[in-house]
Amino acid sequence: MIKVDQLEKAFGTVKALDGASFSADDGKITALLGPNGAGKSTCLRVLSTIIQPSAGKAFVSGFDVREEPFKVREQIGVLPHNSGIYNRLNAVENIEYYGELHGIKTDTLKERVENLLEQLQMKDFCLRPSEGYSQGQKIKVSLARALIHDPLNIMLDEPSSGLDIMATRALREIIIDLKERGKCVLFSSHIMQEVENLCEDIVIISKGIVKFSGSINELRNAAGSQDLEEAFLKITGS
Amino acid sequence: MSQFSAIVKKECKDNLRDRRALFSSLSPAIFAPIFLVGLITFMLEQIQGDSEDPTEFSVIGSSYAPGLIDFLASQNTAIKEIDSTSSAKELVKSDKERVILVIKENYSDRFKSGQQNTVKIIYEGGTISDTLKHVSLLRGLINQYSSRTGLLRLQLRGIDPSIISPIRVADLDVASPAAKALSIIMYLPYLIIVTIFIGGLPLAIDTTAGEKERGTLEPLLAQPIKRSTLLYGKMTAISLFSGLSLLLLMILLYFLLPLIPFDELGLDLEIQAFQFSLMFIICLPIILFSSALLAVVGSFTKTFKEAQTYLSFMIVLPTLPIIIAQLLNAETSLLIMPIPSLAQSTLITDIIEQGTLDWVQTAVSILTTTLYAWLLARLAIFLYSREQIVN
Repeated sequence: MIKVDQLEKAFGTVKALDGASFSADDGKITALLGPNGAGKSTCLRVLSTIIQPSAGKAFVSGFDVREEPFKVREQIGVLPHNSGIYNRLNAVENIEYYGELHGIKTDTLKERVENLLEQLQMKDFCLRPSEGYSQGQKIKVSLARALIHDPLNIMLDEPSSGLDIMATRALREIIIDLKERGKCVLFSSHIMQEVENLCEDIVIISKGIVKFSGSINELRNAAGSQDLEEAFLKITGS
Repeated sequence: MSQFSAIVKKECKDNLRDRRALFSSLSPAIFAPIFLVGLITFMLEQIQGDSEDPTEFSVIGSSYAPGLIDFLASQNTAIKEIDSTSSAKELVKSDKERVILVIKENYSDRFKSGQQNTVKIIYEGGTISDTLKHVSLLRGLINQYSSRTGLLRLQLRGIDPSIISPIRVADLDVASPAAKALSIIMYLPYLIIVTIFIGGLPLAIDTTAGEKERGTLEPLLAQPIKRSTLLYGKMTAISLFSGLSLLLLMILLYFLLPLIPFDELGLDLEIQAFQFSLMFIICLPIILFSSALLAVVGSFTKTFKEAQTYLSFMIVLPTLPIIIAQLLNAETSLLIMPIPSLAQSTLITDIIEQGTLDWVQTAVSILTTTLYAWLLARLAIFLYSREQIVN
């Protein structure tokens, strides 16, 4: 469960977030949609306690990001935009490092890593150094790393950028699986088809303000257009 | 496993796999002792060789000055007679001869009549060889012969010879050539401190700017780790690499320094394992200091390249107090103990020269440098707690 209330974030004179409010429920996939520079990444970074809001509040599983960042970090799995992995470690070592940081006991950790390797189909490359991984393989490692402590809330910042069709499809399956297990999945994107196939709820953000928040059908009704792209352009006013 | 040990383990494993970084981290520790010992041994051999090798030169017209030649021959020289018809200049220019002494035909007549004679020494200067050394030796010998002959002449005429030399300069250079060679040993403190800094440098770059450039810092900061735990872990890993470098340097010096023939020179310079252990202990705070300093500077940098520029400058920094102290001729005293790097280098010099050190001074240096290290560590933690670290 993620809740954002009148969130503001300024970098110098630039207001990246200007009073954004929305919520994302457990057991649902929520898309954070918006043009480039709309404030999607800033919003996810505030939610993952990387940066502090200038004003307003944000809660993850009921914990305030500003008051209890440690509790928040225990509840979230994050895939930041353009995040990297350690090239000289292999996939297993990359994932185990994060498991150790979460204080997971060795036996449990081995078991979880094994499950994630299976689920994300990483077995064939997981013991090679990460240096030679493809973009898709790297995203899989980052994702496994973010899920190693079985978090309740998962935040993915443009996870499909740079992925081919097969990898995108695999990613979609993983996201659906997370939803079915009752997790709150919040991901940012600017690709309409991806959103249409995957999400129940959509949050459209533009210039730091939430322009729309609701289901896909509600979006179509509000914009008066069956075509989602058309609806998106209308809502953002561009 | 605790978060702290997970971080230290990961940083060490990650960086031990980077062979190139590992090599550049350990290279001063490996090559400096070899170079140092090699250079001193070479210089000492040169000095010892001097007294044995005769001064070599050739002579044109030796028959005109038998007295001079006899004198020269008695002074550890190797004289070669060459044909008086050959052109001395050509011979030297064409590298057939290196030094030629030319004596003119009228030498003997002028000598007998008490007139001044001129002899020529022909050589090619400006070349990298020991020609100039031979020339100056030869010149010295001729001057010696000349003044001795002059004195005899004055005495024969009943004049006190000292009348022509109102002032006599007596040189006394207390620095023996061997001592000069050994002065290189005095670069050891400098070498030790630079080794510590370079030892931790590649890891410091990788763990600060490297994390940012690869995009691994942001997900890492979203993990439930205290920034202090994260930074202490990183600084411990840097310290371990610095310490490894220093240990390697100490071990190599321990085995290589005895190869220098100190006792042949009548010198008593023996650094035992105990002295090396003392140096290591004295340098422990500098290891902590350097890793904290590198972490602080690293926090300002965003890319490997930027980090390399700034952090390489950091290697010059600890040598500044040493250089300034040398210029000001500072002696070991309690006053300089709170100056990191200078304190350690003077204490190391004391250990080398006296085999032991002043415990009060040592304690002051260890406490103050550790305090600075801790302050720098707190600064690094503060810098990593700001959100600018990811922007």
